[in-house]
Amino acid sequence: MTSGQTMPTTPTRPPVSTPGKVGEHTVRADGVPKVTGEFEYSSDLWMDGMLWGATLRSPHPYARIWSMDTSAAEATAGVPAVLTYEDVPGRKVYGMEIPDQPVLAWEHVRYQGEPVAIVAADHPESARRALEKIAVEYEVLEPLTDAEEAMSEEAPRLHPSGNLLRHIHTVHGDAENAEADVVVMGEYEIGMQDQAFLGPESGLAVPDGEGGVDLYISTQWLHVDQDQLAECLDLPQERVRLTLSGVGGAFGGREDLSMQAHACLLALHTERPVKMMYDREESFFGHVHRHPARMRYEHGADRDGRLVYVKARIVLDGGAYASSSTAVCSNAASFSCGPYDVPNALVDTYMVYTNNPPCGAMRGFGAVQTCFAYESQMDKLARELGMDPLELRIKNAIEPGDKLPFGQEMPEPAPVAEILERVRNMPMPEEKEAMGRDLRELPGGVSNATHGEAVKRGVGYSVGFKNVCYSEGFDDYSTARVILSIEDGEPLVRVHTAAVEVGQGLVTIQAQIARTELGVERVWVLSADTGMGSSGSSSASRQTYMTGGAVKMACQAVRARIFEKVREEFGEDPGGLSLDDGKVFSEGRVMLVPLDELLGDEVIEETSEFHHKETFPFDENGQGNAHVQFAFAAHRAVVEVDVELGLVRVVEIATAQDVGKAMNPQALEGQIEGGIAQGLGLALLEEIQIKEGKVQNASFTDYLIPTILDMPSVRAEILELADPEAPYGLKGAGEPPTIASTPAIVSALRDATGRELARVPVKPDQLVGIAEKPPRQPPQPGSRGYSDIGRLDERSET
Amino acid sequence: MPGYNRAELTAELKVLASADSERAPKEQIDAARRAAGDSGLAREAGPETMALAGERSEVLEAMRKVIEASLDAGAHAVQVNVEAEGDSPRFG
Repeated sequence: MTSGQTMPTTPTRPPVSTPGKVGEHTVRADGVPKVTGEFEYSSDLWMDGMLWGATLRSPHPYARIWSMDTSAAEATAGVPAVLTYEDVPGRKVYGMEIPDQPVLAWEHVRYQGEPVAIVAADHPESARRALEKIAVEYEVLEPLTDAEEAMSEEAPRLHPSGNLLRHIHTVHGDAENAEADVVVMGEYEIGMQDQAFLGPESGLAVPDGEGGVDLYISTQWLHVDQDQLAECLDLPQERVRLTLSGVGGAFGGREDLSMQAHACLLALHTERPVKMMYDREESFFGHVHRHPARMRYEHGADRDGRLVYVKARIVLDGGAYASSSTAVCSNAASFSCGPYDVPNALVDTYMVYTNNPPCGAMRGFGAVQTCFAYESQMDKLARELGMDPLELRIKNAIEPGDKLPFGQEMPEPAPVAEILERVRNMPMPEEKEAMGRDLRELPGGVSNATHGEAVKRGVGYSVGFKNVCYSEGFDDYSTARVILSIEDGEPLVRVHTAAVEVGQGLVTIQAQIARTELGVERVWVLSADTGMGSSGSSSASRQTYMTGGAVKMACQAVRARIFEKVREEFGEDPGGLSLDDGKVFSEGRVMLVPLDELLGDEVIEETSEFHHKETFPFDENGQGNAHVQFAFAAHRAVVEVDVELGLVRVVEIATAQDVGKAMNPQALEGQIEGGIAQGLGLALLEEIQIKEGKVQNASFTDYLIPTILDMPSVRAEILELADPEAPYGLKGAGEPPTIASTPAIVSALRDATGRELARVPVKPDQLVGIAEKPPRQPPQPGSRGYSDIGRLDERSET
Repeated sequence: MPGYNRAELTAELKVLASADSERAPKEQIDAARRAAGDSGLAREAGPETMALAGERSEVLEAMRKVIEASLDAGAHAVQVNVEAEGDSPRFG
């Protein structure tokens, strides 16, 4: 943490990023500072005289609040503010799509960790002690933690109009009457995954002395935060100004408000800067997670392996509040049948409120859950048909012009068969003799658990897809301002947007685009803030498409003005002009004039707003041209399993992905490897354990994420099949690596063990056949758990 | 990703419970909340406030029922704020 008077403002001279144009390997401007520890995250923010904010959270997943006494806390020395719901001057609820989540709870708490009161103090320890002095009288209620139960008529209503948040009924063809030669059914379950970003929620709110507030914050979408904050604070939008601070990862977990409203309330109340910073444990309660899901599928095919129909029932647990769950529901429904030509489909997708932690956006956004289910079904169908599972996938691969189950025609390019062929044709990793191998190359690694006696290799394939950009009729746009001037005798381009760098490499890509379009090496990408128009969220794999598109448009407008100036001064036809190396060239690459000579003191500034093509909502049968673009990735996993101990080593992941255009190949490589790591985590390790609505593992000691030792080598082939409607032909690349990597690993585990493995993350007891699904509550000696699942020697293998 | 589920009409109703009524203030608010909940359009928006979101006709119909329930329970006033989708400044 830094000290002294460091005002978190936009630097006057941002570092010039490493030169590189579109398509070139370009070192990320934030890469080295992050690796060396010099990067300033929002948790490093500091102002002299600032206070520390802290949050009192409910210990109960469901309870009625009978009373709250803050008097003892208010009397604590060094504690100038203790606030409750009564101190929220505007709308007392917030939410991106449906404002249903209390800023501070009043009558009920609906999940463990729900904020109840906030304090500001002169020291974090004073704040903690003040929280301990707030007396809340709860009547603890029976939590509703099962999504299926929550849908029943008898279930208590957690919200006034019931527990069903959204239901999408998708009818495509006539699945009810379709006849198939071979039918397979399966039930699949996915656990609650956490984004596990490295930088916990933090920010600094600074009152402006005139009733407004400036918030320095790590988030995913500055303007949607601003909109919600203005409503909660009962202030006009222009009096709530947000500036992006250093973001330590997001993956969807920063789309909702966390401490933003609390910090602003405390700052406005005390008229002093207030910093809030969660620790790791609090972070688990401070953001939404990936939706757990239960999915029942039935696939029918003819004897040749052609899919005839898919029927599915998908139930997603949204937890206590809406967040972006209605959109996650939409995606789960849209991508429920996979990138396959399915002539008939009947799919019911439900999103349900429970008293579990709220769930919302996470990388893959509804497509992850269903990909695990439909790809597991494809493996099962291949077994039933006696077909090679990869052949079955290729045979049914969707092609441009085919109708998706939600009625939209698959646009060009859709290289599903091609990417599957690519992963098939990549060389397999060498298979070494397990016995006598270096321990680090065996399942269990240096823990010395196995010497290779029962190690079996397995290979699995998977393919997945997802939408890019926002869907269902939302008018999505991004705004960019580009300023060209001459500074120190050389041309300089400034790019200003409100687009958020969350670690995906967006700042670097904006600079690459400016260099490409304007032929100027020096580019400064200014700090993102709400002084600019909205750029939308850094989510849905959309920022390079949308903000890249906006920067490109603004650069083209600047270029048009340069060329017009050249036409006026030199009489050259703008149609034949080009820019490179800070100079204007005529047709035939004859240098006409350097930009510094042409512009002198003149500054050219243009602002552009980029919109993607129109989309439409679903009708009552779940039909509609709802999505902008589809991105695809296929994976092949090679694993080794100790089938007696249930230990796994992922040997290699091979992947092929269509990205339209590799804007920065180095950053793309990072996205692919990072996405696969998150997919591996879901396959083998990552799950928030919940017992009766309470989180059991809110730490990185107990919530396991893959380390470098768990990561296999990644072999990737990139396809650049241009989307004719997208800037540079690009496709969003951030999410597809996560989607199909999980089912590929599980498929390889099935190949090695012969077990069904219908739930992720796959645990050792599933791999050795003790239980297909782990018991919902781990058995304790003497508890009913053992009688429920039987003695060890009596358990049947699945 | 806001806006996916944006309603044609949103109404916020704040029940100003009466201390002089036969029924306690909380009962008056609960009566309004039940009526709002039964409409299938409601969510809580504050201790005395509920929001109704949906198509114009169904929201207007539900509003009438919530106001009636509030008055029947003894409330003397209900503050109403109605916002049409086209007029909403939310989410840019």
